[in-house]
Amino acid sequence: MQRSLPHRRGRRNFLPFWLILPTLVVLFAIQVYPALYTVWLSVQQREPSGWIFVGLKNFARLRNLSQFGESIGHTIIFLVGFTSLTMIAGFFVALLLNRNVRLSGFYITLLFIPWTIADLLAGMVFRLLVVPDYGLLSGILQNPAIFPPNGLSVLTAVPPRPWLGSFPFPPAPALVYLVLAATWRALPFVTLLLLAAMQTVPQEIIESSRIDGANGRQVIRHILVPLMLPTMVVALFSLTLSGMNGVGMIFSLTGGGPGSSTELLSYMLYVIGWNQLNFGRAAALALMIAVVNWLLISGTLRVTRLEEKSR
Amino acid sequence: MRRIPTVSRKSWEHSLVNGALIVVCILAMLPIATTVLISFKRQEDITRKPPVIFPCDTSTQSFDASACRWAVEGYQRVLAPKPSETSPLGFALTGNMFRIYVPNTLLYATTSSLLVVLLAGMSGYAFSRYRFRGRGALMTGILAITGVPLLTNLLALYQMGVTLRKAHLPFYDDRIFIVTVYIGFFLPLSVWIAKGFFDAIPRELEEAALIDGCSPIGALMRIIMPLAMPGMAAVFLLTFVNVWNEFIAGYLLIARNDHKPVMFGLYEFLGQNIINLQVIAAACILIALPIVILFLFTRRTFFKAMVEGAVKG
Repeated sequence: MQRSLPHRRGRRNFLPFWLILPTLVVLFAIQVYPALYTVWLSVQQREPSGWIFVGLKNFARLRNLSQFGESIGHTIIFLVGFTSLTMIAGFFVALLLNRNVRLSGFYITLLFIPWTIADLLAGMVFRLLVVPDYGLLSGILQNPAIFPPNGLSVLTAVPPRPWLGSFPFPPAPALVYLVLAATWRALPFVTLLLLAAMQTVPQEIIESSRIDGANGRQVIRHILVPLMLPTMVVALFSLTLSGMNGVGMIFSLTGGGPGSSTELLSYMLYVIGWNQLNFGRAAALALMIAVVNWLLISGTLRVTRLEEKSR
Repeated sequence: MRRIPTVSRKSWEHSLVNGALIVVCILAMLPIATTVLISFKRQEDITRKPPVIFPCDTSTQSFDASACRWAVEGYQRVLAPKPSETSPLGFALTGNMFRIYVPNTLLYATTSSLLVVLLAGMSGYAFSRYRFRGRGALMTGILAITGVPLLTNLLALYQMGVTLRKAHLPFYDDRIFIVTVYIGFFLPLSVWIAKGFFDAIPRELEEAALIDGCSPIGALMRIIMPLAMPGMAAVFLLTFVNVWNEFIAGYLLIARNDHKPVMFGLYEFLGQNIINLQVIAAACILIALPIVILFLFTRRTFFKAMVEGAVKG
């Protein structure tokens, strides 16, 4: 059905291959080859004589580390808190913006400034508020009368005693701050995505359901959410992906502390790789993160494909 | 039957929505506002216990607007201006941030964005205009790579960097490597954005030029490129901002300190200024400001690229 350009009728045209080739070379060198290299690294161990093959020992060692289980717990708490907070807040802000009030262009511009700020910088901005003793809010946060028994402080507070066995819940105040900082930065992205999806919902459907007597909550529950579901899934996966792999904010806000209470898997990868210089074990961890990433990515692909087909 | 909304109810609803949006905007701006506030404080107000929000209290009053003690000390310590005979302005910025890290990042961001525009333009055009064997598979492959984050590849990239450094290639240093890494990571998304923009240009325009005797490359340069300029600008801006804001690769993959980018400079500041919060705040403002200003001037392009990219990746 695609009409062919007149000049390439009859003979094969190699122009598209030459146009794509440089891209493929770069992507192979920076994306594909390192991924294979990581697989190789994960079964190696560095010895003075060079790399030696150790099979799955790196994975077994990693599993036996007590910090590993703890870090999974922190990561789950962070991801659940971060994604649910961002999705809910993003949905409501998008709902407000969808009302098309007169200044919505101005609001959108203002709201989106945090998205342009680097994650390392966002962590620093929040750190300035909560640094023990000198942070702008530390007078309130460290006041025992407001936050018993000792007040909250990000970098020195003792992690709370867990409720559920060894699962690190409730989270340390520092992890809560991390969730808030990450939400602040990711909110614009989700809001824009959901707003774009909301604007494609035909106004007639909403109006006719209104005439049929649906109230605001029913319209959201039975019309907006089902129609926006693909976009919401894409947003959720993309948030999980960025939360799973974003490490800059941990560097600047908490440095993994206090103790290891904000050491998510991404930060643990850095600690094992570059602090303990154990590249084999770090590669094993990287592979585990990569498996989760791949699940999320292929899930996103599936959803977008389904959506394209249904159109 | 539901009551049809009256005019007064509508305007009441509007002001409610407006009010809620103003609250949301204030909340979104609050962390930035506090950073600006801290950056203009003096050292003796930073280290007071308990901390004061505004440095405006006197011995008799808790807030006196005429007694505020504002200072630019933080900015001075980041920039460290020193008189210089050779500089055309009469002074030179001697702080590492603006002497080393900002020029480095400008170099990396500009080169990688230009190359990303070139490569994404070429392959986006090919994917948009030609049907060839393997097209679908390649597009799915690039789409799958689009979401892959940097983190899991860092170990291998670090090892590759070490090997390349030891090979003593002529003209090679970490700067070439880091620019290649940035291109490799921001290219897949850009290919999709570029393809989307090319798809929107009607094929008939190009075919008319070809019938009139224009060569395929000539048609690309004279007809398509001018029309694709907004898309290419979006790719450039998005890559530029992404490289400017990238921390972990620049931190780990570059060995020499005088080759490191601006986010490393900020991280270094954090370690050096444990209690000099005004210096950290001033550095944050100075590094975020160019990007925020860039965003404010180009927000339409930004949003377009972002929606296009988000739907794909």
